[in-house]
Amino acid sequence: MRGLLRGELIKAVTTRAVLGFAVGGAAFAVLNALVIAVASGTLDKVPEKEEALSGLPVLLLLWGLVGAAGEYRHRTAAPAALVARRGRGSVLSARIAAYALTGLALGVLTSAVSVGLALPLLGDQPGPALTAGDVGAVVAGNLVAFVLSAVLGAALGALIRSPVLGVVVMLVVNFAVVPLLSGAWEAGANLTPFGAAGVLSRMTHDTTLSVVAAGWVLAAWTAAVALAAVVVERRRDLA
Amino acid sequence: MTSSRTSAADPAAAIRVEGLTKRYGRRTAVDDLSFTVRPGTVTGFFGPNGAGKTTALKAVVGLARPTAGVAFVRGTPVTALRPDARLLGVHIEPCGAHPGRTGRAHLRSLAALAGLPRRRVSEVLGLVGLEDAAARRVGKYSMGMRQRLGLAAALLGDPEILVLDEPVNGLDPQGIRWLRTLLRERAAQGGTVLLSSHMLGEAARTVDDVVVIDRGRLVHQGAMADLERTGESLEDVFFARTGAAGSGGTGGAGR
Ligand SMILES: Nc1ncnc2c1ncn2[C@@H]1O[C@H](COP(=O)(O)OP(=O)(O)OP(=O)(O)O)[C@@H](O)[C@H]1O
Ligand SMILES: [Mg+2]
Repeated sequence: MRGLLRGELIKAVTTRAVLGFAVGGAAFAVLNALVIAVASGTLDKVPEKEEALSGLPVLLLLWGLVGAAGEYRHRTAAPAALVARRGRGSVLSARIAAYALTGLALGVLTSAVSVGLALPLLGDQPGPALTAGDVGAVVAGNLVAFVLSAVLGAALGALIRSPVLGVVVMLVVNFAVVPLLSGAWEAGANLTPFGAAGVLSRMTHDTTLSVVAAGWVLAAWTAAVALAAVVVERRRDLA
Repeated sequence: MTSSRTSAADPAAAIRVEGLTKRYGRRTAVDDLSFTVRPGTVTGFFGPNGAGKTTALKAVVGLARPTAGVAFVRGTPVTALRPDARLLGVHIEPCGAHPGRTGRAHLRSLAALAGLPRRRVSEVLGLVGLEDAAARRVGKYSMGMRQRLGLAAALLGDPEILVLDEPVNGLDPQGIRWLRTLLRERAAQGGTVLLSSHMLGEAARTVDDVVVIDRGRLVHQGAMADLERTGESLEDVFFARTGAAGSGGTGGAGR
């Protein structure tokens, strides 16, 4: 299993995509810190300040999705399955694990940028300052959201098998369907993976779902989709 | 199966395909196909475009699930076989490398997945003559270079059995001669090769046994030596057996 993980990690980090996502994640962190901490008026409550530290979990979802779906698009899944001394389910599991690990690394980078930039900027805001505990909790929530999103993305990518279709569907759901649903039925929207990831990353606050509960919601979605992807992978043709 | 060498005890066929059928929706790509590949030989797999060669090879190596029938590799149904790069080396078009990854990184990932030592990567890169291009991205490779990379991947585990889909496609004359020599040497050492090709003249110089299919069905199986004895060329057999009148089947390749 270690060889499988190593092989899948090599693939994940040897195209330019990993650089693109690292730059994209960092750029969003910078933008978010500036917009929230500087350009959105007075932030005198802790949750408002925490939002300046939030990352963009959907980016990690796309990271996993583009990578895993690309394995079919570029037909790299077939040679991998042909040489790995395990079944296809194990190969896909290793691939998903590789996206979890790289997702964690990308998440740590993004969070470091967020914290490094937003904390000094938030110093000018009135009201209670964020404690080290607050910051730790926000970063932990974001990292959980990032890793779960990367896993969910990789599993969805393996199911959808088309990077373009997958990205379009995810962007529409994340930026159109869930916000619309949220306006009509907030509690329901929070129970979607995208809604839960928003709560977990502190993008959404003052809502019906607690951060911990959001973590469980996202974890449940992720586990279910990953399981479905592994089961399906073992049955479908790989060519 | 009229080869003189087959009669000398056929212990375990390297590959045995039995009643293989593969349908994609209502299209029948491979239709009740059976044939045997003897160990220690190079077997050529021929048929017109769309005859079902690639599909059959995908089923033989376990990438495509047959609708009916079984493909055995050394006596074990391929679906029950643990994948192993040391047993089965495969190159099926297209070569399956990410255009944004370097040739070396592609092979390194496969070596890691296969549990093979990293030095094998340099060895096969040398073998196929891609050392100088190893650090370039596959998207920038020429067709022949991609072909060589696919062959390098198939050879990574120094496998007992090679399954190659149109391996000479895009190779230059040097590459074609190199491949012919390599395959003959491997067969001489007891290795087995199943390859598809449209280059009948070249294949006739390389293969021991011939399998011809048309519209998914077997239309000829025999030894190259038997053809030579009767004075028929591979091309004669190909055209005689793959004419429109040659197929009694209905579904065919759905054309
Ligand atoms: N994934 C697929 N889905 C649907 N139909 C397919 C698929 N793969 C192959 N076919 C069909 O099966 C038939 C056989 O195709 P195949 O690629 O096996 O032929 P081939 O003998 O390899 O041809 P060529 O010499 O052109 O490579 C064709 O009619 C093709 O359209
Ligand atoms: Mg073909």
